[in-house]
Amino acid sequence: MKLGLGKIKDALKGGAEKNTGMEKEKGEKEKNQKKGKENYRIENSGRYPENGAKNHAEIDAENNEETEPERLEEVTMKIKTSEQQSEDKPRNESKCESKHESKHESKRESKQELVNEPVNGLLNGLVKETMVPANQTGTRKTGLIFFPAFDWAISPTHPEREERLLYTRDQIFEEGLMDLPQIAEYKPRLADYRDIARVHFCVPDIKAQATTPHLIAAGSCLVLADALMRGEVKNAFALVRPPGHHAMTVAHGNRGFCNINNEAILVEYLRKKYGIRRIAIVDTDVHHGDGTQEIFYNDPDVLFISFHQDGRTLYPGSGFMNELGGPKALGRTINIPLPPGTPDEGILYVLGALVLPILEDFKPELVLNSAGQDNHYTDPLANMRFSAQGYAKLNEKLAPDMAVLEGGYAIQSALPYVNTGIILAMAGLDYSCVKEPDFKPGMFVQAARDRQILEEVIATQLENWKNRDRLVETEIAKHGDFYRRKKQIFYDTDMIQEFQEETVRMCPDCQGYVTIDSHAHRSINDTRIFGVSIPIYACDRCQAEAGEEYRKRLNSPEYEYVYLQDKKADEYREYNMRTKQEISY
Amino acid sequence: MLIGIDVGGTTTDAVLIRNGEVYNTAKVPTEPANLLKSLLNALDKVSREVPPEQFERVVFSTTVITNLIAEGKTDRVALLLVPGPGVNPASYTFPGSFYLKGAMDYRGREIQPLDEAEVRETVSLIREQGFFSAAIVSKFGQRNPSHELRIEEILMELHPGCKVKLGHKVSGKLNFPRRVATSMLASATGERYQQFVEEIKKAMEERNIRAPVYILKADGGTLPIEKSVEFPVETIFSGPAASTIGALALTPEGQTSVVVDIGGTTTDLALILSGKPLIGSKGAKLGNFLTHARAFAVRSIAVGGDSIVRVRETDSGIRMVTIGPERAGPSYCMGGEEPTPTDALKVLGLIDIGDPERAKEAVASIAVCLGKSETETASRIVDMTAEMIEKAVREMFLEWEQEPAYRIWEVLQKKKERPENVVGIGGGAKGLISVVAEKLSAKPIIPEYSEVGNAIGAAVARPTLTLNLRIDTQQKVYSVAEEGEVVSLNSTNIGNFNKMRSEEAETLAAKLLGERADRFGISEYADEAEIANSEVFNVVEGWFTAGRIFDISMQIPAGLINEWKRREKA
Repeated sequence: MKLGLGKIKDALKGGAEKNTGMEKEKGEKEKNQKKGKENYRIENSGRYPENGAKNHAEIDAENNEETEPERLEEVTMKIKTSEQQSEDKPRNESKCESKHESKHESKRESKQELVNEPVNGLLNGLVKETMVPANQTGTRKTGLIFFPAFDWAISPTHPEREERLLYTRDQIFEEGLMDLPQIAEYKPRLADYRDIARVHFCVPDIKAQATTPHLIAAGSCLVLADALMRGEVKNAFALVRPPGHHAMTVAHGNRGFCNINNEAILVEYLRKKYGIRRIAIVDTDVHHGDGTQEIFYNDPDVLFISFHQDGRTLYPGSGFMNELGGPKALGRTINIPLPPGTPDEGILYVLGALVLPILEDFKPELVLNSAGQDNHYTDPLANMRFSAQGYAKLNEKLAPDMAVLEGGYAIQSALPYVNTGIILAMAGLDYSCVKEPDFKPGMFVQAARDRQILEEVIATQLENWKNRDRLVETEIAKHGDFYRRKKQIFYDTDMIQEFQEETVRMCPDCQGYVTIDSHAHRSINDTRIFGVSIPIYACDRCQAEAGEEYRKRLNSPEYEYVYLQDKKADEYREYNMRTKQEISY
Repeated sequence: MLIGIDVGGTTTDAVLIRNGEVYNTAKVPTEPANLLKSLLNALDKVSREVPPEQFERVVFSTTVITNLIAEGKTDRVALLLVPGPGVNPASYTFPGSFYLKGAMDYRGREIQPLDEAEVRETVSLIREQGFFSAAIVSKFGQRNPSHELRIEEILMELHPGCKVKLGHKVSGKLNFPRRVATSMLASATGERYQQFVEEIKKAMEERNIRAPVYILKADGGTLPIEKSVEFPVETIFSGPAASTIGALALTPEGQTSVVVDIGGTTTDLALILSGKPLIGSKGAKLGNFLTHARAFAVRSIAVGGDSIVRVRETDSGIRMVTIGPERAGPSYCMGGEEPTPTDALKVLGLIDIGDPERAKEAVASIAVCLGKSETETASRIVDMTAEMIEKAVREMFLEWEQEPAYRIWEVLQKKKERPENVVGIGGGAKGLISVVAEKLSAKPIIPEYSEVGNAIGAAVARPTLTLNLRIDTQQKVYSVAEEGEVVSLNSTNIGNFNKMRSEEAETLAAKLLGERADRFGISEYADEAEIANSEVFNVVEGWFTAGRIFDISMQIPAGLINEWKRREKA
């Protein structure tokens, strides 16, 4: 039976109404519209001028014809220059004020002092082993991997299911985005186990945590990283699932829909393969990027900025302003808790007044956007009021070198439009006609009270940023040879309670190696592991000491697995206490 | 008896096949201004002395649509577009576009209604501007064609003489800009193509040929000529498709081959992977327009037997040989003006045709500039030509390996095939095939009748058919992309839609494909249909499963008719 025109309309209309009704209660939206619209001026509308990749490009542009060793020298010099600049920062004495009280006692370790950033004498040697980023000035293309994993779900009705990017597929394919000369589509690949081992201690092993779809999502980021570094694309977007930003160094299971951390794997890959040193990650997911924060907490070379719905109102319940980084990396973690209901205006205000100025100051070689889409006003798991237009503007202003999809579960009402907007914005194309069916400009207005909260957050974090070196110095004076903190980590998806003690070597020559003693409680099974991590730019002494720590634990029967993560040597080991077997990745 | 005719750029080739064997062949020059005449000349020549009642099937592959477009012999088309939210339509570059309010979403739900007053105004404007052809395309029109249908009603009411194509009827695939281009080209060429078909039918009647007549499509399948009027754009690029099917017919079953058709100016390449011609993952490009027309993944490179060979001096004073891309008539050894790869092949004794003295003369003119011997120079020229072809073949394989993947199994699938055979079709520059094969570590095959391989391909190609079924159980509708109808699921015998399983969806797809094959008069091939892709998505709203979406693709892939007796005819 063929339906007549009217019948088709009726059949389809029913579904539409039902759908919009289900995805979000509308009533709430109207509440805050009465307040007058406040104009704001973006303090730093000029964007931070260049990121590192573009600096490389400029340098290389002059030396295009030169031989490889000469190019390597250029890179080395550039890295040194940026370090000298950071050493010259003003060192005003100031206290950092904690505006929000953390729910997690264990995460309270602010108010610290400064130390000089580690200048690594081995840098020359390291850079020579790596590949040199290519000139990117010639290309106008945006690299894209769309990997919707149409054959994978956490469970059939879980938000992280096959259907998640189905309508996004429909929209971006119907728009013909893949045909645009400004877009280069790439094929995903599997990440190697080594790429995972460079970031995580996977319990009991990598295979158990990083299943095929995880390896493809992470591998897609690496394919795009290579394309970016080879100069084939000017920027790139990994529109992939499953996501990763809640996954921490130790991976006992899935938390916040994440097993392994795509951005962290990307960062370590870029550092190892291309000798990139300073990287900024801006986490624009509505949830605090606690996994990424934890992984780089003690790393002064990675600036982690996360804005998210206030942790007192949303999973994972962290991301407060007092979480500023480990003793030697204070101020390199910047958390921006946003009041629920913050619209485009508020987020773009924070971007212009806080995020961009800090990025300009930090001068990263690369900027990554951990691009969640759940700040959207229709997201079923959060309470923000961001729109597709807002997301497109955000990416245009932030101009990340790479964006990696994180969360976003309004799969019908938001994702098709948000992703179209982000792709167009990154490709430098006109996104003015991208809008959700029910979106009307001006429908969400920033509340004056919330605006004031944002102003306070910005003032506090700018102050912290300004004083970061002094904070580091003060904090280091408080600790002896080691800095220890205890943590409790809850895995919501897999119902695991983990207790950790993290120890950082307070090394005068480098950022120091880290050991983690982790005890995980499942319903009846307990697992205890010990992991040793040597940073990529560690000093020889730390490398040796850390190796000794690993060997010592091989005879400690309380641990089921012992790990050595030597990022400096790019060697990764896992020892199984029961079988007495050591695996190398 | 089977007749196959391929109208190429320079010659029109024909074969007559009897009992699965080539019985007769013919070659006549193509008159670009009168393709029909060329076609009939070849038909008459190859079928001389055979009574027409013995013909079982006649298949043409023709460049008529490509020629119409290249020569600008197309009608002006008014494009009535309903773009909705997304890419700014101002960035589209389609001529004669009129944008209308209204929008559908990805599930065919109306986001914004049509503004009928605006439609009426626009239709009046189109009429005033003298358009007599139109195409109506809405974004996601394949998910819900009601806007396109309503605009058509208004157009017919206010401008009854206007010929119109609807986007959802032209292609049901995702990609609005390609659907616009394909609809526009279909509308622009439709009338003249219809004339061409009428003339063919008339010519067949005059010759008392009662056998069914088919047109070869770019995907290597045959289409009854009456049906082809609905899908004129599908017939573009049927030349390379004919060569590919010809190579398939003339090589051992199940092998991986690269099909090389070396012409005068260009060389066309196609791939057969484990016995299956490779279809391009996206539609063909026609002129400046990306279309939805399904076509073999073919690549054309600007080097051929008659490409001009020159010596160029680089800035650093090194003298280098260059080949092509220009062509100045035939090779020197065939009475032309300039040295060519064909001359080099002649000097090396790799081909039979041509004047050996003139070939030597041509190569000598190059050798002098290089300060090398004639044989050395000839080898260098042949080697370079083969290298250009080899490079293009490798790139094709690489491109195929690097095609985007959206599913885990697609990423895991190992795409590492390399050609076992290099099959020369078309008869041009035969001597090059063995050099190319050597570079690719493959076996050279120059089949018997390779010079009319394209016509053989046309003669023995079987029909192809695709069916893309989409079922949305929440909205209780299904649609077949190729049919452009949104149908209620109540019309099927499926009981509980929300419990619908993949098997039921696939059964429905197979049934619909059978019906479609019937309408195309190719029901005997319906059993050859295979499921190319089958997916099911749970539609979850508010943590409950609200329905299911099934996406099922079925196809009768390109292949050979059963009458053809296949064997290696090398």
